[in-house]
Amino acid sequence: MIELRHVSKTVQSGDHPLTILHPLDYTIRSGEFVAIVGPSGSGKSTLLGLLAGLDAPTTGQILIDGVDITRLTEDGLARLRGEKIGFVFQFFHLVPSLTAFENVLIPMEIAGRRDAPTRARQLVEEVGLSDRAHHYPSQLSGGEQQRIAIARALANDPPIVLADEPTGNLDSTTGRHIMDLLLAVRQSRASTLVLVTHDAELASLADSRLVLRDGRPVQQNEIPRAAAGAEAAR
Amino acid sequence: MIFVIRMAVREIRASWQRLLFFFVCIAVGVASIVAIRSVIQSVRQGLTREARAMTGADVVVRSDRPLGEAVRAAVARERSTGRVGIVSEAVELATMVRPAGVATTRMVELRAVESTFPLYGTMTLQGKPYSHDLLRDHGVLVRPELLAQLNLRVGENLLIGTRQFQIRGVIQSEPGRNLGAFSLGSRVFIDLADLPSTGLLSFGSRASHQLLLQVPSPPPLPGRRDPSLLLASELSKTFVNDFVGVRSYRQNEGRMNQNLSRAENYLSLVGLVVLILGGIGVSSVTRVFVQQKVRSIAILKCVGSSSRQVLAIYLTQVVLLGLAGSALGVVIAAGVLQLLPVFVGDIAALLQVEYGLTVGAVLQGLAVGLLVSLLFSVVPLLEVRNVKPSLLLRQDIPSLPQFDWLKWTVATAVGAALVGVAAWQAGSVQVGLLLSGGFVALTFVLHLAGIALIRAVQPLRFARSFALRQAVLHVARPGNQTRIILLAVGLGTFFILGVRALQVNLLQDFSVQVGEDAPDMFLMDIQSDQRAGLTALIDRENGAENVPKLIPVLRARITGVRGREVNLESYEDVRERGGLSREFTITYRSALEANEKLVDGKWWDETPAGEQAEVSIEESLRERFNIQIGDEMRFDVLGRIISARVTSFREVDFRDFRAGGFMIVFRPGPFDNAPHSFIAAVKGGKDPAARARLQGLIVSGYPNISVIDLREVLDTIRTIVDNVTLAVTVVGALVLLSGSLILIGAVSMTKFRRVYEAAILKTLGASSRLIATMLLLEYGVLGAIAGTVGAAGAIALSWAVARYGLDLPWQPAPFLTLGGIIVTAGAVAAIGVLASLDVLRHKPLSTLRAE
Repeated sequence: MIELRHVSKTVQSGDHPLTILHPLDYTIRSGEFVAIVGPSGSGKSTLLGLLAGLDAPTTGQILIDGVDITRLTEDGLARLRGEKIGFVFQFFHLVPSLTAFENVLIPMEIAGRRDAPTRARQLVEEVGLSDRAHHYPSQLSGGEQQRIAIARALANDPPIVLADEPTGNLDSTTGRHIMDLLLAVRQSRASTLVLVTHDAELASLADSRLVLRDGRPVQQNEIPRAAAGAEAAR
Repeated sequence: MIFVIRMAVREIRASWQRLLFFFVCIAVGVASIVAIRSVIQSVRQGLTREARAMTGADVVVRSDRPLGEAVRAAVARERSTGRVGIVSEAVELATMVRPAGVATTRMVELRAVESTFPLYGTMTLQGKPYSHDLLRDHGVLVRPELLAQLNLRVGENLLIGTRQFQIRGVIQSEPGRNLGAFSLGSRVFIDLADLPSTGLLSFGSRASHQLLLQVPSPPPLPGRRDPSLLLASELSKTFVNDFVGVRSYRQNEGRMNQNLSRAENYLSLVGLVVLILGGIGVSSVTRVFVQQKVRSIAILKCVGSSSRQVLAIYLTQVVLLGLAGSALGVVIAAGVLQLLPVFVGDIAALLQVEYGLTVGAVLQGLAVGLLVSLLFSVVPLLEVRNVKPSLLLRQDIPSLPQFDWLKWTVATAVGAALVGVAAWQAGSVQVGLLLSGGFVALTFVLHLAGIALIRAVQPLRFARSFALRQAVLHVARPGNQTRIILLAVGLGTFFILGVRALQVNLLQDFSVQVGEDAPDMFLMDIQSDQRAGLTALIDRENGAENVPKLIPVLRARITGVRGREVNLESYEDVRERGGLSREFTITYRSALEANEKLVDGKWWDETPAGEQAEVSIEESLRERFNIQIGDEMRFDVLGRIISARVTSFREVDFRDFRAGGFMIVFRPGPFDNAPHSFIAAVKGGKDPAARARLQGLIVSGYPNISVIDLREVLDTIRTIVDNVTLAVTVVGALVLLSGSLILIGAVSMTKFRRVYEAAILKTLGASSRLIATMLLLEYGVLGAIAGTVGAAGAIALSWAVARYGLDLPWQPAPFLTLGGIIVTAGAVAAIGVLASLDVLRHKPLSTLRAE
């Protein structure tokens, strides 16, 4: 379970403080699929980064399974990510100097798993790229890179998968395949999935939606589904 | 841990090309350290092996005066107890020789030996074995060069002193001839029994009388002193007051070792300088490497690795690369050592040394290479900690730079460790500190000068040429490689030009000293009764205007100052300490010479001294021994004690030796009746035939007089200077090589940014040619600035060393300086463009898409 208590983020932009995320309380149950939607600059990615401990909130607490991650050190957060969180980025972010297979391998090696190579092979097979396993990221298409990124995110069987516009950088067909893959793995593992997206159709599949605008949550009933969809499509 | 090593290996696999430079920097530095140390250690091993043969005996008893009965009796006593085995007597002296009936003469170093010679080592002759019978009854053995110089053949006669000797063989190698020792002439051997017949042992001649002792060696017992050392120290005590030196071959070995250690450490510093320059390259490569790896580092952190793990991955890479680079350095050094005999084959054969890698040198090279790689990369690697994984989500708004305590602590520790490495390599903390301090100061000055010069070229940004405008803008752009190139190239230029400029100064000083008017022949050991005849002879041969002034000389020892006894324990102590008790050559006269300046006290008038003898002392002695005007000094002049009052201090310019340079000058009077000899400086004329004729006439008329031809001596010195120049040039080339490596590294450092810029410029319509011109101008401007800074430093260095270190008048070397700047600018421009070739080659679209 993920609990957000009064979480906000303010950064210094030039001379002025700029609040990207206004204080927010929110709870995500285990196994829930939550879509975070909203226009560009609404604070979606920032919120996702805070959930993963990639960044620290200015105020408030984030509890993952009862542990306040805002009190963890940088290395404590790294360990938490290794054990509990899988992250999928819009720009894939594979390590360019490693092959696809090795990119999937690293989180397990960091965690010190003995079965890392076997599991990495299974995961690469699960995302359908066995024949491309020993290619470097630069030799893979965008869709292939994202599949590897998903395999990497799933490496340590994390209970939580966070995805930041995973289809945002792909054409619609490839995007749909990636989404299918994500939903399939979520189904098979019963993991929590938090998805940042513009895509209203995708968002409609979620158990619940968090709509952000200018860093503030917008009440669900205030925005009809059609309006939200129109906004996202813009 | 396994993860860290695996990642490090994977990273190297992927980016070895970028790290190649790292590798090469370390390899060049380590290669120079290992090669230098190996050569010297090989020489040392060879010399130690030969130490006994070099000394020619277990113990040598040596004196500048004929050995007295007391000395002989003491040695005979030791012999009767069995502590000394064979005793072999020998005399060495420098004299002139010539073929009978011919005026051409040569100075030789004569050695008269007994049948027991040599005790150790072997004497090798050309074509036949050595036997003392060859010398018996006026036989002589000579070196091949003497035969060539005098146009003589084996079987013909040679005139030594007043006696004819028959040449019976040619010396190939001789035991005990100290290599590297300054020699006045080639070696000649005769029988000791024939020496008196030459008439060369007359009063005042400078001969070295020796007893070579063989010490029977019992099986060595642990904890017991070497019998030859024991005997040498006991005999020294016995002979305290006899002007006799006693040395064991073990002592010579010790001294030789000490000298070689010093040489080894100083030369290794050169290697270290090269390695530190390489280290600067390592540091810049590492910094850029981390910049390029920021995203990968963020990803690693995002998937769960800690900062410490990431740091460990990159440190492991550095260790692996450092080790591999050091190993390559060892391989290069081995290759160099293989090639070395091609260049210095003569020396190797002479020393009977086999060059090869020594274990010690290899281990040191590996250790220093690894240390330098780690020390220079650890500070830039610390940046890894500051990489935030959130940059994967959005471009971070950069936070204000905070004072990074860890970074500064580590940087300080690294600095201290580098001082330590320098001190270790130099074998001296002081030298280590000096070197490191010099580096820091130099870096700081280069940095400031660089900033000033970059400002100075800024008006060019309004130049009409687009390429020039862009070039100047690029040089001044923050965060580019300007500073590192200035530093690396500036340092390289500084070293090379500095050493060259010094060399120019040294050589000029030599040529000044053999100027037209300077006397170039010295006559020594002239006896009182020979004065008139000799002056008349030179007058007749050389013209009246060149009649030499005869300077009276005596040898004296200071035994006391102001009632304080200055009788040091033994002859050896005196030599070691270089103190007052050493023998001085003294003179007396009534006027100051042109090369002297009175600095304190009063010079005496023309009248001879009365009851109280008076003496004038050189300034340096006053400072060293705290002598004051009015002090009473006691001298032992040939056994006679003379007490004299110090009445003045002089400063002598010893480089102007026309009138000689004397530390101690007496007021005329006390020595009028004492036996003494004279020296004279003569101008021999430019024509070699006339010089030879004059020398021949002097030697045939006065066989006891030694003629030192300064032109020959200066030729010898010039050869030595040439050799030193060669060594320095090699060192300069090494520094230059590491300088260009740093340059290549610095250029490739910023290449990834440049490729992107060039792509944009190309899409905007710039031709490859325009971009090449921009690059050429940019690096040309940088090179010119770096060259100027380095050249200015070099001028300052050569001036300071000439003025304060060597005490030479300083001469600017304008062509060298200007040439240095132009060559530097050209080289930097060429290397800059060549290293950026793929910037020009890249197709813009692929570059832009990749970004």
